[in-house]
Amino acid sequence: MAQAVQKMVAKVPTMIGAAVTYSKPRLATFWYYARVELVPPSPAEIPKAIEGATNLIKGFQSGRLGQTTVKDALRNGLVATEVLMWFYIGECIGKKGIIGYDV
Amino acid sequence: MAPPVAVSPLIKTARYSALIVGIIYGKMRYDNLKPIAAEERRIEEEEKKIREEQERIAKQLREGSLVTRTHMSDDYNKTKYSRRLLNCTEKCTLIILSHTCVEKSDFFFLSSSQQVKTPF
Repeated sequence: MAQAVQKMVAKVPTMIGAAVTYSKPRLATFWYYARVELVPPSPAEIPKAIEGATNLIKGFQSGRLGQTTVKDALRNGLVATEVLMWFYIGECIGKKGIIGYDV
Repeated sequence: MAPPVAVSPLIKTARYSALIVGIIYGKMRYDNLKPIAAEERRIEEEEKKIREEQERIAKQLREGSLVTRTHMSDDYNKTKYSRRLLNCTEKCTLIILSHTCVEKSDFFFLSSSQQVKTPF
């Protein structure tokens, strides 16, 4: 029993090395995309965001949104769902648990 | 690899504001629910204690090992009640027991159990 534990402990550095070698290129890909796509908006972008929101409301009022194709509508629906999911991730962070409130 | 897509600022602000709103919402709801749950747990504890007390007394009555205390001044009432109850069956006493309070001072009746007289 003790010998088996010793053998496992001796293998840990090799395992860590293998994990690092495996994850490095994948982390690089992730970072390559995240640096552009996942950054928070800079303060200069916030007025543009507000402008985009007003455009959306104007489009809704003028009836232009009725002209969107089904493909566009589905794509926008997916994007909206993704934004909604960020809210639930924030809730999980706020309640410090994944499933349910730990009261 | 495809080049990274330039995300529109509206989507970016929407994402991060949803994240922050979610964190605030989760924290506020947690703080709201925590005292409510503590209160419920406290009430559950008390009710459990009362229930266990009742069960213990019912069990003791069934075994016939209940020791009760009666008022010495209540001799008249005591004999009236005890005579009535000695005619009842065991089941009747249990039914009466389930309808009375849990307080020990209320146990002025007995069937086949002992009786101890105290001056109060």
